[in-house]
Amino acid sequence: MQNQNKVKLSRRDFFKASGLAAAGISGGGLLGGLTPARAKGATPPPMWESRYSACDMCFNKCGLIARVEKGVVTKLDPNPKFLKSRGMLCARGNAGIAQVYDPDRLKHPLLRKGARGEGKWQRIPWDEAIDMAAQKMQEIRKKHSPCGHLFTAGADLQSQFVGRFAEVYGSYNVTSHESLCLLSGTRGFLDTFGEVPFADLLNSKYVIMAGANRFEALVTPDSIDLMTAMRENGLKLVVLDPRYTKTAALAHEWYPIRPGTDMIFMLALMHVIIDEKLFDRQWIEEKTYGIEQLSEHVKQYTPQYAAQECGVPAEDIARIARELAADAPRSMVYPGRRSSDYENSSQIRRSFALVNGLLGNWDKPGGLLAARAVGLKGVPYDPPWYDENPDDRIDAHAAPALFEHDGSFVLTREAVLKGEPYPIKGWFIYKTNPMVNAPNRKKTIQMMEQMDFVTVVDITMSDTAWMADLVLPSQSYLERQDPCSGLQGSVACACVIKRDPVIDPLYESRPVFNILKDIAGKLELGEYFDFNIPGYRKQQLRDLPDAEAAMDRDGVYYNPSKVYGIYEDRIYKTTSHKIELYNQRYEQMGLDPLPVYTPPQKIPESRFRLVVGRNAYFTHGSTCNNALLHELTPENVLWLNPDAAKILGVRDGETVEVSSSVGRGEIKAKVTEAIRKDTVFMYTGFGPLSKGLSLIQNSGASIAALLEDQHDAISGNAAMHETFVTVTRKVA
Amino acid sequence: MNRKAITFIGALLITISAVSMAFAFGGGNARKGKFLYRKNCRSCHGKTASDLSPASMVQADWKATFEDVSKIPCNKDWQGLPEKDINDIFTYLHDYAKDSPTPAKCS
Repeated sequence: MQNQNKVKLSRRDFFKASGLAAAGISGGGLLGGLTPARAKGATPPPMWESRYSACDMCFNKCGLIARVEKGVVTKLDPNPKFLKSRGMLCARGNAGIAQVYDPDRLKHPLLRKGARGEGKWQRIPWDEAIDMAAQKMQEIRKKHSPCGHLFTAGADLQSQFVGRFAEVYGSYNVTSHESLCLLSGTRGFLDTFGEVPFADLLNSKYVIMAGANRFEALVTPDSIDLMTAMRENGLKLVVLDPRYTKTAALAHEWYPIRPGTDMIFMLALMHVIIDEKLFDRQWIEEKTYGIEQLSEHVKQYTPQYAAQECGVPAEDIARIARELAADAPRSMVYPGRRSSDYENSSQIRRSFALVNGLLGNWDKPGGLLAARAVGLKGVPYDPPWYDENPDDRIDAHAAPALFEHDGSFVLTREAVLKGEPYPIKGWFIYKTNPMVNAPNRKKTIQMMEQMDFVTVVDITMSDTAWMADLVLPSQSYLERQDPCSGLQGSVACACVIKRDPVIDPLYESRPVFNILKDIAGKLELGEYFDFNIPGYRKQQLRDLPDAEAAMDRDGVYYNPSKVYGIYEDRIYKTTSHKIELYNQRYEQMGLDPLPVYTPPQKIPESRFRLVVGRNAYFTHGSTCNNALLHELTPENVLWLNPDAAKILGVRDGETVEVSSSVGRGEIKAKVTEAIRKDTVFMYTGFGPLSKGLSLIQNSGASIAALLEDQHDAISGNAAMHETFVTVTRKVA
Repeated sequence: MNRKAITFIGALLITISAVSMAFAFGGGNARKGKFLYRKNCRSCHGKTASDLSPASMVQADWKATFEDVSKIPCNKDWQGLPEKDINDIFTYLHDYAKDSPTPAKCS
């Protein structure tokens, strides 16, 4: 095992470092290294070794220190020097131990023996598993061309190797988790500012948060900075949410907005700001394109009209617009993260972006920030060319503005099921779980059933693994060596992290890098994986000579790069090379160049709009079966307003049947005032099919089974809040 | 235009074949162009010549650069490269330029 990340740290040193970190955070100073030897004379050395790592219980990658005793991880603590998380490790991060030592972990390669999804498996040795995976990939490539194989990877430091493998194998068909999460938000902001911003909440004075729940769905440093700014800097928070979330509970104002109407609220804000000339005209003229068209466009969206649609009183919309403008540029509409909501989500998020454009908050304290320089370099390679391939991805042109590296899972699945424009018969999936996260599970099952061979690499028998032909056990984040990763931490930092093993790997688990390398070797593609992780890191760090030592010393490397004013001498990456209030490319593509409000579909009588989300102590399907987190969230429940419950005759805690046009589920009702009468809510991740997740058998209902599979018209992102459901008492 | 882009133009002017023509590029195969760019351009750029990616320039600058490929200095290194291949390279560079809908990332 490599011990590069091993640190010797006494309790006194740890608390001293924590104090330093706190001082550094509040004062903005750069932290010095830990000094492990200083206190040794006074305090006996600890009985454990401390090793740096980075959390993997969600996408944030917060720095941590693992306490290792006799080769066993006994505790995970926050790395006090890790500024992105403000020295915090959340409940999920603490529960990482339960992931590593989960008795449900996959322990050795498994080959399906019964029908797909039947749960009959045969243990096979690794050599046989690698041979089989390679042989099946070769067969599919020969029969259907390399594009006949699909590759899907979740957010992980090793996912880049799945993309690399797909490219050298020859397939364009790569999907990520992103089209089930955030691509419409990415599209909306990219097509306005030319890049996706980071929010400087710490220095902001006024924030409107719509379609985000930052005190439960944690993003670092945003969640912490928002709280700090509210408590210490007088930040005012206005929340729009059909649920009374914890974020809503802590906000200054909460409006239970009618789902699907956020856009008209934003358009009305712009109506007031422009009508009352509450913007910096000089800045707008210099930095933006299309203020005249926008001014004309928003005339129709009066606060009165918006109030009728979204339910927020007109006087409040007008007041909020004035308050927002008064605090500009230290004010913002928070961009949010997950945006997989509606069929017009890209345009909804563009309306968010346009308000920010009008506030002139780009690249300024308290506003929206551009990505900072991290300095990590790519590692080039030269894949071969395959003449036998079709021209494009299988989902090409199914939506006008797909992202090449992410595609659209929903549209890819449609094409695979039709077999058009060409067949896809193989699927390699690493660390993502479309059976649980993608809407309309029946279709994902059909997609699985028409595959010749499916290989899944994961640490537990997820629902997706449950449907596979070959299941390969991967290592947890505390057992493996990962490449470096550059992280954006808004105003807190731009940093680089790495992971080294803090314990020896358990069972027969292997990292996906080794698995792909071995398969590549069998396919005569070994030259593209002819390196190891330390060598790969060296290439990544070739312009950062101090980074490796800093990561060994502190668990993180900070690039002291420019935070504000990055665009002073830079053009915007848009068609006009300015902030595009009016999007010229959309006009050329036949799309609305400005967001046009269309009322959401009326909810049919006796039905509800289903909205989904999570809380601060689980991450969708990946943590539901975690023993520690399961104590906090043992199942999901259906939030139901008391008035609706009364009409339905449903009592709190009673099991109900929820049905949509594509599926059904049984779940306990939580009768609560904290949700609108026309809307129901449930957490993601529960209601599994897999029998390999022992804690959550028969627990709750699956969002994937219930949600219909509409998609955002521009980005192809899943539209996960477009489903109406019926709720009935369960008949015994 | 930033220094990288200027350096690139100088270097790329050593890369493309001596096909002298008015600008008529576009609509090629960007995927093939990516492969050809890696094979023909990145053998120098990023190693012995300036670092380079489609996002080094905006679309208008790529068009201007390819308006007369005979003036691109590195055309001697591209002797014999078919016009179709040059068009594919242009399409890749242009379609993933800095101000394109999906700017290319490094590597």
